Amino acid sequence: MSKLTPRMKNWLVGSGAHVGTASRAGVPTVIVADTVRIEGDEVVAFPLSAAQVEHVRANLAENPQVAFGPGGLGSIRAAYQFKGKARLDGDLLRVEVSEIYSTKPGPEAGLRLDTLPYESVLKFEASRWKDEGPPARAGERS
Amino acid sequence: MKLSREMKDALKIVGAGGAVVYLTTSSAAGKPNTVGERFVAVHQDEYILIAEMYAQKTRVNLNENPRGVITLAHPVKGRTWAFVGPTTILQEGLPPEARFEGLLASEVLAEWGNWAEKEPPSEVPPDIRPPALVQRGVIIMKVDQVYDFAAGAAGRRLL
Repeated sequence: MSKLTPRMKNWLVGSGAHVGTASRAGVPTVIVADTVRIEGDEVVAFPLSAAQVEHVRANLAENPQVAFGPGGLGSIRAAYQFKGKARLDGDLLRVEVSEIYSTKPGPEAGLRLDTLPYESVLKFEASRWKDEGPPARAGERS
Repeated sequence: MKLSREMKDALKIVGAGGAVVYLTTSSAAGKPNTVGERFVAVHQDEYILIAEMYAQKTRVNLNENPRGVITLAHPVKGRTWAFVGPTTILQEGLPPEARFEGLLASEVLAEWGNWAEKEPPSEVPPDIRPPALVQRGVIIMKVDQVYDFAAGAAGRRLL
């Protein structure tokens, strides 16, 4: 699994997340989770509504792979993409993160972060961004 | 399908930081990819365009599985919309007669192949502006479905 940094956690918790799922045949379906809970360093959990569960239940039953990134302005200010296997436990979607990518446009698009030493990821973040998370949840979510 | 005026406006917010969306694609084997995209436009009422600025996995996915979902990320303001439809990448080098869903690729590229010139990203704050606006084509979706992503109504068909 892959270790999330404090900045990654702060943006996910503060901004929610767009979560992509797919059928086994590759038909994508997206939900947007308003609430994000971090469990330890490598698990991200999304409490879902009944409608959200219904929307992705069939996909997850046949294909546990998901991809997600921070919502709102986090989509560009915190340009990360997380991938992993998800499990629905009642209305809780729990993802074990196994890949983390930079999605900054340009030369760093697609740069895989979780295969770098953790200290290098922290240095990468510090060199690219000044913040440690979204300024204020209400202001960012619109 | 034609997008509503409200939808077109939401995808085209000039001078206020612009609209930001997520584009989700999937490999043919079902591995999804979800990335934020900043340079977005609506073309002829039923196509959504995104500047292709060296998307990596998106390109691989669209080559083998040409469909996508675009979700509005900012500003949302109740506009909880997911756009769905056939999606591909147009770029220079395609045969002159290449078409996508009724459009001539060369005409789309003539208009949108140089996004920086057409719509300079002057309003994008320096800390999130790409170091260089290098574009190698246009990601294009023909919208054939719109659904709601609001938590309480997720998946409800809107168009």
